[in-house]
Amino acid sequence: MRAAVKSPPAPEVVEEKPDLGTPLLELKGISKQFPGVKALDDVSFAIWPGEVHMLLGENGAGKSSLMKCLCGAYQADTGAYFHMGEKVEIRTPTDAKKLGIAVIFQEFSLVPYLDVAQNIFLGREFKSKIPGLLDRRRLYAEAQKVLDRIGLEVDPRTKVHTLGVAQQQMVEIAKALSQDASILVMDEPTAALSDRETERLFAVMRQLQAKGTAIVYISHRMAEVFALGDRITVLRDGKNVGHAVPGETSPDQLVRMMVGRTVDMSYPRNFRAPGDVVLELKDISATTGIADINLVVRAGEIVGLCGLVGSGRTEVARAVFGADAITSGEVRVFGRIKQGGPDVAATEGIALIPESRKTEGLALIRTVSDNLAVAGLPKLFPNHLFSPGRARRSAEALIKRLRIATPSPNQSVGLLSGGNQQKVVIGKWLAAGARLFIFDEPTRGIDVGAKSEIFALIDQLVAEGAAVLMISSEQAEIVHVCDRAYVMRGRRIVGELSRSELSEENIVRMGMHDE
Amino acid sequence: MSMSSQTAGATPRLHLSKDVVQVIYRLLAAGLLCVVLAVVTDSFLSTNNILNVLRQASLLFFLASGLTLVILSGGLDLSVGANIGLSACLAATVIKATGSPVLGTLAGLGSGTLVGVCNGLMVAKLRIPSFIATYGMLWVLHGLTYYYMGGETIHGFPPGFRQIGSGYFLGIPIPVYLMLGFLAAGTFFAQRTVWGQQIYAIGANPVAARLCGIPVDRRLILVYAFSGAMAGVASLVFLARLNSAEGDIGEALTLPAVAAVLIGGASLFGGVGTVFGTFVGALILTLVLNGMNLLAVNASWQPLVTGVIVVLAVWLDMIGRRRT
Amino acid sequence: MSDHALSAAQPRPRLPAIPGVAIVLVALALVFAAISPNFLSTGNLSNILVQSVILLLLAMPMTLIIMTEGLDLSMGAVLTLASLVLALTVVSTQSLVLGLAGAVGVGLAFGFVNGWLVSSLRIPPFVATLGTLGVAQGLALIVSDGQSVVGIPRFLRQVYSGETAGIPNPILIGAAFYALFHVLLYHTKFGVYIRALGGNRDALTLAGVKWQRMLVAVYMLGGAMAGVAALLLTARINAGHPTAAIGMEFDAIAAVALGGTSFERGNGWIFGTLLGVLTVGVLRNGLNLMAVPSSAQVAATGALVIVALFLDGLRSRKP
Repeated sequence: MRAAVKSPPAPEVVEEKPDLGTPLLELKGISKQFPGVKALDDVSFAIWPGEVHMLLGENGAGKSSLMKCLCGAYQADTGAYFHMGEKVEIRTPTDAKKLGIAVIFQEFSLVPYLDVAQNIFLGREFKSKIPGLLDRRRLYAEAQKVLDRIGLEVDPRTKVHTLGVAQQQMVEIAKALSQDASILVMDEPTAALSDRETERLFAVMRQLQAKGTAIVYISHRMAEVFALGDRITVLRDGKNVGHAVPGETSPDQLVRMMVGRTVDMSYPRNFRAPGDVVLELKDISATTGIADINLVVRAGEIVGLCGLVGSGRTEVARAVFGADAITSGEVRVFGRIKQGGPDVAATEGIALIPESRKTEGLALIRTVSDNLAVAGLPKLFPNHLFSPGRARRSAEALIKRLRIATPSPNQSVGLLSGGNQQKVVIGKWLAAGARLFIFDEPTRGIDVGAKSEIFALIDQLVAEGAAVLMISSEQAEIVHVCDRAYVMRGRRIVGELSRSELSEENIVRMGMHDE
Repeated sequence: MSMSSQTAGATPRLHLSKDVVQVIYRLLAAGLLCVVLAVVTDSFLSTNNILNVLRQASLLFFLASGLTLVILSGGLDLSVGANIGLSACLAATVIKATGSPVLGTLAGLGSGTLVGVCNGLMVAKLRIPSFIATYGMLWVLHGLTYYYMGGETIHGFPPGFRQIGSGYFLGIPIPVYLMLGFLAAGTFFAQRTVWGQQIYAIGANPVAARLCGIPVDRRLILVYAFSGAMAGVASLVFLARLNSAEGDIGEALTLPAVAAVLIGGASLFGGVGTVFGTFVGALILTLVLNGMNLLAVNASWQPLVTGVIVVLAVWLDMIGRRRT
Repeated sequence: MSDHALSAAQPRPRLPAIPGVAIVLVALALVFAAISPNFLSTGNLSNILVQSVILLLLAMPMTLIIMTEGLDLSMGAVLTLASLVLALTVVSTQSLVLGLAGAVGVGLAFGFVNGWLVSSLRIPPFVATLGTLGVAQGLALIVSDGQSVVGIPRFLRQVYSGETAGIPNPILIGAAFYALFHVLLYHTKFGVYIRALGGNRDALTLAGVKWQRMLVAVYMLGGAMAGVAALLLTARINAGHPTAAIGMEFDAIAAVALGGTSFERGNGWIFGTLLGVLTVGVLRNGLNLMAVPSSAQVAATGALVIVALFLDGLRSRKP
């Protein structure tokens, strides 16, 4: 008696599957696993002709992985693609191209010593009437057309390596546009552009939209999301956490969706009164572009350093450690001015746990024992004579203390799980007797259990009087773990948040562009 | 945690590191070669031939042991052969001029080391890829030596000096004792000193090594200096053995030295290998060449066989890496 | 969006129009002209050109190989082997065509093996070609039995010493191949992909280009050119000799490096290599006129290359 009356479907369902006909491209249940991380977990998502579809999410939420699956650079482990309702395969870049998918990459896919026109048409050269030769006149004429369309005033004969970052980004855009794609994917295309170029790009996007091109647009800028977007998809932890329409949502609501209620995972911390100043940066500028960095870390403190990827966090860490040259300002460690490279930093008790464990932190082909000893060699063997037995005993003690799951100290470190590899990186600095630890994304690609172990370890370090500077893209971690945090944007520090001000919303607001 | 209990509960068992297993395989290969040669030729097992093999292997080993350290650090030194030529000619001149083998020895070792330091500076400080830098150095040395010698030969050295190349002690050639000495010293350096361990770390991952606080530049210069010094040692033994110095004295030895290191299990990509492995590699290569000799195969086949061995060794190493 | 002001970065100033190698070439020529009055004579200048052609034939494909971030150390040994094959074939069959076909065939075979080792087995180019160097050297000794091949017929010698329309044959051959390489590098897909192979292989993969085959083709081109050079070399020395061109790959690499082609990122140009070849030729010729032994010339070339590499490193390290 209740069923007959209430026939129209609930409005939420309409929003989930808008009645726009068959989607141009539909992804169903896409998953992609990397060793230690699930980059994409059952993501479904559809694009209709003539819409701008915004893809939002924090760093590492899976946006880039999704994009790479779309363009054939990655092969999805499971899931299916449907083009105009028909099932298709996307296994190589050529497959994607055939479906009319073009991508504007954030990392440049340009060849430095080819000119602008040759780069735009790489792999799609124009053949001349003379067999084997290229039609250069047509090449430059076509390139000029594309450049005019996006308003880039650069001679198509200019070699790409002589262009600035913004112009290279524009060439990248021209390359994608020239493919007359029906689906255009853009990964933060405006990150390197000035206002004028950005406006020009938006105008082109509107033209494309009118012609029925579907655009997938990844951005961190809220203003863009609301100005351009027809629909919004939010990703978090490799999962699709929801759709929204700009008119029916607010920036705050979106930020909350991106940050989410993280899996209830609390990292136990015992906050104590901090001790002496261990690290002090005064007006540091470096060749890597960071400028006027001032910060202080005291003994017994965990200080967070947050901001978007590319905001200059890693560069600060490397400058402190001496891995990149400082152009002005001074670094004081334990009260003394620090000069010199990483070898000096290591002897002064500074430890760097780098962002990329595999390429910068470990010698993957060597054993756990070797890797645990490598930073502490001068300290463990002051007379320069190496003793395998002693190194092994030291390694065994560390394996026990850090609870590294390895069948033996002689196991190749490359065969351990991400969490255990990270413990090895930390362990080598314990062997070296470091007192100031700089963690760059310490929990990237590590499973939940190992994460809390690593935080327990960091807490133990500060309890013993060490000082910790921690870079993380996961705001939840910073909020739970840190005594205070600095927020970076555009290679500068834009603010400091005390323990009471630390919240995910505050970090995201300060670190985001605009507002 | 359940993970850590596995570690604690793991029963200790006899552990052979990968390096040891690799060397055992190579020793077996060398033994097999000996058996085959003993069966198919009459003269292989003669004392003379055995001593000959050992002496030839020792000359190759001097060069290859220094090169091992370079390859462990992830580089390559193509100038070792040409370095022998220059060092031998300089040493010969000094001995002739002063009559003092000691000064001559110092000259040979000094010039070898100096060349190595130059290589190290080019690689570590100027960041020129090692194979190009040392390849350029090869031709500089080659030209200098020929220019210096002007087609002349220097010969006739004091008998005392000649002992280090052609002398015997207890019926065994002196170079063989020298080889065992450098084998022990090289193994000790690589396995039992902090610097040796740091060289392995640099070869395995130079970026990580730098970020661990290892002074990478200084260690690299040291490694190339060692390689140069060992070329100096080889030049002296050569000189004493041949009793004459010519410009082309070590030219044909670069490729065999690279081959010996690679046969010995060192990886061209750095961080893997042992000095003892190179010793076995030098033995194997010498046995192959000796066997070809005994079977009356034209000596012209030697560079061809060596070249094929180099490519095969690198390829096998790459297959091994892809599997792990 | 004001914090993106840095995107307005100016394009970096262009390199000066006159390449460094041209300055070195002119400076060397002036020095030699001042020291030796003979240097600037027409006969000597034409001599320099003629003598540079063999090197040019090797240096041009070497330029392309280096632009792919590769190297071919086997080129001199392959040239030697090809020269022997050519001499033996011509002496026994009296056919220039068969001889040339044999030489180019040998070169192509070695080029294919080099390219296959580098692109399919992913062996670093310098070791792969160091190995094939040994193989080619060994084969050269085997086919010649360590002896020179003599009795080269006059028609073969004529290829090097003869003239056509008043211009020495080698210069005509050199000019023809220079034109060929120019077209290849600047007017064909192949040329575009060579720059991309060294500059950004991922860009090629993303563009759906099967670049492995291109890489093999580049090394095969190098081998084929060694075969062509063998024709001139055999005619010039009037014999086949088992060590005739040992080490000539170094002169080729030297000329390429001097010419400003970089070992990284696919930056190179064929005209620079021409200037580099001429610089090596002028240096050798001038030192010859000054009666400096050829061995010292090798050392001088080696030193020049290290300086060139150092300067290349300085240039590429600038942001």
